[in-house]
Amino acid sequence: MDFDTRVKAAIYRWFADTTKAPAAPEIAVVLGEPPGTIRDAYRRLFQKRVLFLEPDGETIRMAPPFSGVPTQHRVQVGDRSYFANCSWDSLGIPAALHREAQVLSRCEQSLEPIHIRVTREGPRTAQVVAHFAVPAAKWWADLVYT
Amino acid sequence: MLFFRSEERVNEWCRDHGIPRRPILSLQQLWQLAVAWYDTRLTPEARRPKPEEMRRIFARIGLEGPFWDPESDQFD
Repeated sequence: MDFDTRVKAAIYRWFADTTKAPAAPEIAVVLGEPPGTIRDAYRRLFQKRVLFLEPDGETIRMAPPFSGVPTQHRVQVGDRSYFANCSWDSLGIPAALHREAQVLSRCEQSLEPIHIRVTREGPRTAQVVAHFAVPAAKWWADLVYT
Repeated sequence: MLFFRSEERVNEWCRDHGIPRRPILSLQQLWQLAVAWYDTRLTPEARRPKPEEMRRIFARIGLEGPFWDPESDQFD
């Protein structure tokens, strides 16, 4: 496994285990590497569109489907509570973890709460739809809005 | 990609925000997309789908046309 793949796997493991984005020094401890080397890997993973970093160039904003910042999309899996980047990613978290989940979000127009129970076979709530405002060709260029 | 209670709420939101009404997915379609994209995400081999793979995934879920084409230049 090449170095960047090891870093990526460690980031995703950290998110899955802690629900939070790992700082480069935390992954440095996990992999036994200098923090600067991990920061460089973060930037390469950003260039490869694996991670989305904050403007500081080292803080993870998104490792899809996980969000490093609070959003309106919460995903409860057992006793862990994750933030997802969008409606798609809120179902992506149980899909990635292969676990049942409760998605807690809202209708963006009425602001009423939306609660979706997700089993291993998929969502069990019917009266919800998702609107995709940004075309696929523009997703990465406008990822936060997307 | 936002949740709404109904297509009517989507239409109201687009009108209120001056945003073009774009595709609406059922929850089942969204789940299919989530599984196609993220099922193996925690494995070391996971990677972003290439454009041709993306088109195939979308088509399998019934999502076709320029909006779903990752290389389309039909949108500003």
